Amino acid sequence: MNMHEFIAQYWKAYLWTDGYQLSGVAMTLWLLVASIAIGFLLSIPMSVARVAKNPFIRGPVWFYTYVFRGTPLYIQMLVLYTGVYSLSYVRDQPLLDAFFREGFNCTLLAFALNTCAYTTEIFAGAIRATPYGEIEAARAYGLSSFKVYKRVILPSALRRALPAYSNEVILMLHSTTLAFTATVPDLLKVARDVNAETYATFEAFGVAAALYAVMVFGLIWLFRKGESRWLAFLKPQTH
Amino acid sequence: MHKLNVENLHKKYGPHEVLKGVSLNAKAGDVISIIGSSGSGKSTFLRCINFLEQPCAGKITVSGEEIRTRLDMSGSMIVADPRQLQKVRTKLAMVFQHFNLWQHMTVLENVIEAPIQALGLSRKDAEARARKYLEKVGLAASVENKYPSHMSGGQQQRVAIARALAMEPEVMLFDEPTSALDPELVGEVLKVMQALAEEGRTMVVVTHEMGFARHVSNHVMFLHQGLVEEEGNPAEVLTNPRSERLGQFLSGRLK
Repeated sequence: MNMHEFIAQYWKAYLWTDGYQLSGVAMTLWLLVASIAIGFLLSIPMSVARVAKNPFIRGPVWFYTYVFRGTPLYIQMLVLYTGVYSLSYVRDQPLLDAFFREGFNCTLLAFALNTCAYTTEIFAGAIRATPYGEIEAARAYGLSSFKVYKRVILPSALRRALPAYSNEVILMLHSTTLAFTATVPDLLKVARDVNAETYATFEAFGVAAALYAVMVFGLIWLFRKGESRWLAFLKPQTH
Repeated sequence: MHKLNVENLHKKYGPHEVLKGVSLNAKAGDVISIIGSSGSGKSTFLRCINFLEQPCAGKITVSGEEIRTRLDMSGSMIVADPRQLQKVRTKLAMVFQHFNLWQHMTVLENVIEAPIQALGLSRKDAEARARKYLEKVGLAASVENKYPSHMSGGQQQRVAIARALAMEPEVMLFDEPTSALDPELVGEVLKVMQALAEEGRTMVVVTHEMGFARHVSNHVMFLHQGLVEEEGNPAEVLTNPRSERLGQFLSGRLK
């Protein structure tokens, strides 16, 4: 099979559907966007809790990020996909049973919890590095504690965290390649299936690698745009 | 009625007593300079007035409204009602030594932030106010979309003064506003402060600028080891100090 025929036959599966469901790039991006969105939203309150003075608030979040950053994502997926479903308690609860039976749900849960743990630590570090004088000024001008967070600490910290966060998102894209272990038809699973079908190993994985690279370039471009917009205050001024 | 009334303020850091009962009264239009060597407690005193530092004892009244306090379980004084403190703080705009502008906001955003968030002004009204006071501190409209880090220290401090003015406060608190500036930038900030004093604004200024204390303020307080060692009319106090400490303090600097 030459490259032309190869592409003519499999481009749909690589890009968005294998005929039954989302597959390839579309599935990979969906996994990435969904896990990043859930992880981002959860990590904001968690990072605030992570820097709390009260050890009963700070402690559980520390424990969570320690566990999820301290174990490999692959293990987390195995525990959530095969491990949890082996518990009879889970199979006996209709809701839990329905949720954990689906490889996609388990994968998304593992990805979201994993990226949330890393993101929480990135944001917590940025919150800790907020110049104290700016917080003091906000208090001195009569802002409530909630508004000090909402208007000064978080907007400043999230901006300063952007470069580190962009790395986390790119690493997360690469981590989505584990999804095939839970039968989710992401880009790598399509490549493996094509390889098994055609034995055109170089083409099967080469096309996937090229598509991953295109996605990463897209992400880098997006974050560049974001940084030039939101981090202008940190740049040396150009005349 | 006094604009600001501070009675018998005490502050301790552990066993170390920084303020041992300091009082201050400011009528409308008073410009009070607080001087003293470092460690005398002058900045701590100023920061206790708006509770950025928690005083251990004492009473603070702003335009007739006393900041309500109570004793916690360990017997230390704490604020009774955080909402009331927030409201009183909007009447006590502060200018800091290191400006403390919000770095992620532009000049205009810095000046409209507290009027919108703390006073509840509409964005339109807040912007009108901001432009008025930016002009008053001598900043052209062209700077309003700049970020603070792209400006000189003198410009940043003038933005900070505009931010304070935009609150239309009862009393302005200045914490060594020129100490972090390059010498050639001190003048532009002092000129703005002098203009505010001449407008009749009530100001409490912790400063090392003896020229400002002597010529602009109408009352000088000399703090030494947490107590008011001497106070009064600047011309008298700074020319003929009665206490030995103040004499030493003044002779140690050029006039």
